[in-house]
Amino acid sequence: MFSNIFQGFVTVLSVGPLLGIMLGVCVGIVFGAIPGISAIMAIAIILPLTFYVDPIVGITMLLAVYKAGIYGGSISAILINTPGAAASFLTSLDGHALARSGKAGKALCMALYASVTGEMLATLVLIFVAAPISLISLQAGPIEKVWLLVFAFTVVGSMTGESVPRGLLSCCLGMMFAMVGMSSLTGAVRLTFGIPDLMSGFTFLPVLIGVLVMPEVIDAVRRRKTPHQDLVLKVSDQPADNRVSLREYRSVLGTIIKSSGIGTVVGALPGLGSSAAAFLAYGEAKRSSKAPEEFGKGSLHGIAAAESSNNAVCGSSMIPMLTLSIPGDDVTALLMGAFLIHGITPGPTIFYEHTDVIYAIFAGFLLVDLFLLVIARFGFPLWMRVASVPPYFIFPCVTVFAVVGAFTANQSLTDVMILMVFTLLGYGMRLVGLNPAAFIIGFILMPLLEQNLDQAVSIVGGDYLRMLSSPIGWIFIGLSVLSVVSAIRSNRRGRRRMAAFAAAE
Amino acid sequence: MTLLKLLAAGTTALTMLATPALAEYPEKPIKVIVPWGAGGDSDLTTRVWADAMEEVLGVPVAVINKVGGTGVVGTTEVANAKPDGYTLLNAGLSNVQVTPNFAQVPYDFNSFTPIVKLSSVPLGLLVKADSPYQDFAGFVAGAKEHTLTQGSWGAASSGTILASIIADQADYQVNYVHANTTAESMVSLIGGHIDSAVSFPPAFEPHLKSGAARLLAVNTASDAYPEVPSFADLGIRGDFEGWSGIFAPKDVPQEVVDTLIEASTKAMQDPKVIEAFGNIGATVDFRHGQEWVDDMRQTYGIMTDAAAKMSD
Repeated sequence: MFSNIFQGFVTVLSVGPLLGIMLGVCVGIVFGAIPGISAIMAIAIILPLTFYVDPIVGITMLLAVYKAGIYGGSISAILINTPGAAASFLTSLDGHALARSGKAGKALCMALYASVTGEMLATLVLIFVAAPISLISLQAGPIEKVWLLVFAFTVVGSMTGESVPRGLLSCCLGMMFAMVGMSSLTGAVRLTFGIPDLMSGFTFLPVLIGVLVMPEVIDAVRRRKTPHQDLVLKVSDQPADNRVSLREYRSVLGTIIKSSGIGTVVGALPGLGSSAAAFLAYGEAKRSSKAPEEFGKGSLHGIAAAESSNNAVCGSSMIPMLTLSIPGDDVTALLMGAFLIHGITPGPTIFYEHTDVIYAIFAGFLLVDLFLLVIARFGFPLWMRVASVPPYFIFPCVTVFAVVGAFTANQSLTDVMILMVFTLLGYGMRLVGLNPAAFIIGFILMPLLEQNLDQAVSIVGGDYLRMLSSPIGWIFIGLSVLSVVSAIRSNRRGRRRMAAFAAAE
Repeated sequence: MTLLKLLAAGTTALTMLATPALAEYPEKPIKVIVPWGAGGDSDLTTRVWADAMEEVLGVPVAVINKVGGTGVVGTTEVANAKPDGYTLLNAGLSNVQVTPNFAQVPYDFNSFTPIVKLSSVPLGLLVKADSPYQDFAGFVAGAKEHTLTQGSWGAASSGTILASIIADQADYQVNYVHANTTAESMVSLIGGHIDSAVSFPPAFEPHLKSGAARLLAVNTASDAYPEVPSFADLGIRGDFEGWSGIFAPKDVPQEVVDTLIEASTKAMQDPKVIEAFGNIGATVDFRHGQEWVDDMRQTYGIMTDAAAKMSD
C-alpha cells in the first residue's frame, strides 16, 4: 500500500497534474468566495474540459476546485458576513464577529487551518480505511438516517440564542418553505397556489442569499448616515490578533479532530452533505464546550468546528463513491461522471483494476490540501484589503453577484424573484427577532428528512415499532436526547447568570 | 490567396442571403435542459452529445440541469419554450412517455418535436446476493406469500410504472420504496434495507461485478450477464427499456430539425463519443425519422392503456 502511494506521488509530481491542481485551487477559492456562485457551478463548467486530459490531471483538478470552493466560502463569510457557500454560513457567525473586533486575520487563519486539517484527516481515512467505512455506511438505511436527521435538528436548540421558541418557529418556517413544490416521491403538488414556477420548489441558492446575505445589504443602506470609518472593519495593529498561534491551534485541535470525525462520518453516508455535517459538528462543539456562551460571538472553536467538518465531507464523500459507486451528493455525482468518462468504473474492484490511477489521484488529493494551504495563505493580504474597502463599494458588488448568482444557477428569472422575496422575508425576520440560521437549517434538512421518512415508512409497512428496532438508530436517539437536555441546561444556566448580573447592577 | 479569401467570403455572404434560416441557425448558444440531476446516465449521455455537437455546430451547447417533480419541471419548461431550436430537451421514457400518462402534467407527447434518440438501457429486476430468491419464479412466489419491498425512484417514475406493469402480468404485488435516484435505491438494496429493486445497468452493473447483487431478469439479454433471462423469455409482454434522446418544442422549423439531425449524425460517429457512451454503460442506439416516432407512439399507447387499466 505504501509503495502504491509512493508510486502515486511520483506520478502526480509532474507538470500537468501540478498545474491542474494550482489552477483548480485558484478557481475554487475565487468561485467559493463570491456569494451566489458555488463550487458546484465551477465544477460543472470545468467538467467538460477534463474529458480530454489525462484522468489524473482532470480528476485532481476537479477535486481541487471542490475543496478550495468549500474553503473559499469562508472568506466572504468572515469578511463581509456573506457566506459564499451554504456550508460556511455557520462560519460567518463566529468569523464575522471576530472580524468586527479587528481580528479578521485570526478568523481567516483559523478557517484555513481547520479546513486543511479536516480535509487531510478525511483524505487519510479515505486512503487507508475506505473499504471498511463504506461497509459500515451501508448499515445506515432510511430508518437510521431518519434518526440521524432528528439528531441534526436538535442542533437548532443550541443555535437559537436567547429565545428558544423563536428559534423553533424560525426552523419550522424554514421547513414549511422547503415543502413548497412537487413532492419527488408522490408527485403531489403542494403549497404552490397554482403558480407553475413553484412546481420545483424554491431554488436553494437564492433562498440562502436572500435570507442571509441581502439583509446585510439593506442594513448597510439603512446605516448610510453613519460615518464610513465606523463601518469599515478595523484591522488590529497587534500581529497576535491576526494570526493563529501554535498554542491557539493546539487548544482547538480537539474540536478540529472531533468535527473532522463527524464530517468524515456524515460524508460517508450518501445524501446528507456538508451543510448537515457543519450543523452537527457546530452543535456538538458548543454542547461540549466549556464556554458555550462564546459561540456565535467570535469563538475560535466555532470556526474550527464548522470549517473542519464541512471540508472533511469533501474527502469522505469519495468513500461511498469510489468503493460502492454511490454518489453521495451533487458534487460527487459530477466527479463520478468524470471517472466514468475516463473509463474508470468506481466500485469495490477499483483499487485492483486501476491501482496506478487511483493512488496517483489519492496523492493528488493530499497535494491539493498543501497547495490550498499555501495559495490561500498568500492570498490573505489581498483578502484583508477587501475588508478595509468601504462598504459602499462592497455591498453594490455583493448585490450584483447575488442577483447574477441567483440567475445563473438555473438561468431563470424566477430565481431572481425568489431572491427578492426572500430578501424581504429575511429582513423581516431580523426585525421581529426570528433566527435566519435556524430558518436555513430547517430549509436544508427538511427535504432530507422527508425523503428518508417516506422510505422508512414504506419499509416498515404497518409495523411502526420497527422504526425503533435499529441499534444505530438508538445511538442517534440517545444523542438527540442528550443534545436537547444539554441545550435546556445551558439555557437555564445562561438565564441564571443574567439574573445574577441584573441583581448585581 | 487574397482573391481566394475574398471569393470564399463572397460565397459565404451569398449563401447567407440565399438561405437565411439555415445560415442563421445556430447563431447563438443552444440550451439543453436535462430534467434530472447532474451525474445520472441521461445527464452524462446528454453532456457527451452536447460536447460533440459544439464542435460540429460551432456554437456553445450548454447542458442545464433543471431538477424537480420527477422530471416534470424541466420538461414543462421546454414544452413552453419558444420553438426556435435554442431550447432543447433531454427526453426519455420517463418524462415524455410515462409521466404524461400517469400524472397530471401540463404537456404530453405531442408538445414536442422528436429530434434524435441517442442511447438505451434495459430495465432489470435485482435482489441482494444473499437473498433467498434465486430466480424470477422464486421471487414471484415469495412476493405472493408475504409483502416484499421494491426500490424504485418516485411514485410516477418510469421505474415504478414499468415495475407495476411487470408485477401486474406476473400477478404479484410489492411495496415500493422511493429513493431520489436509482443509485440511492441500489444502496438500500445492497445494504439489506429493501428486498428487491428495479434499476438500469449504469447503476446496477458495478454491484453485479462486485457480487453484491443478483440480477433476476432484464429487458434484453446481454453478453454481460448471459445466464439472466429476458422479460420476454418469462412470458412478460412489453418493452422495458429506458432511453435518452433529444426533443425540441413542437412547431420547431423543419430546417432546425434537419440541421440538428445532420449534426448529431456526425457527432454520434465520433469514436470519442462512442467510447464515452460505452464507459457510461449506455448502449448507443442512434435513431431518427418517422419510423422511430411511430415506435414511440406505439409505446405511448401501451402506457395510456395501462394507465386506464390502473385507474379502473
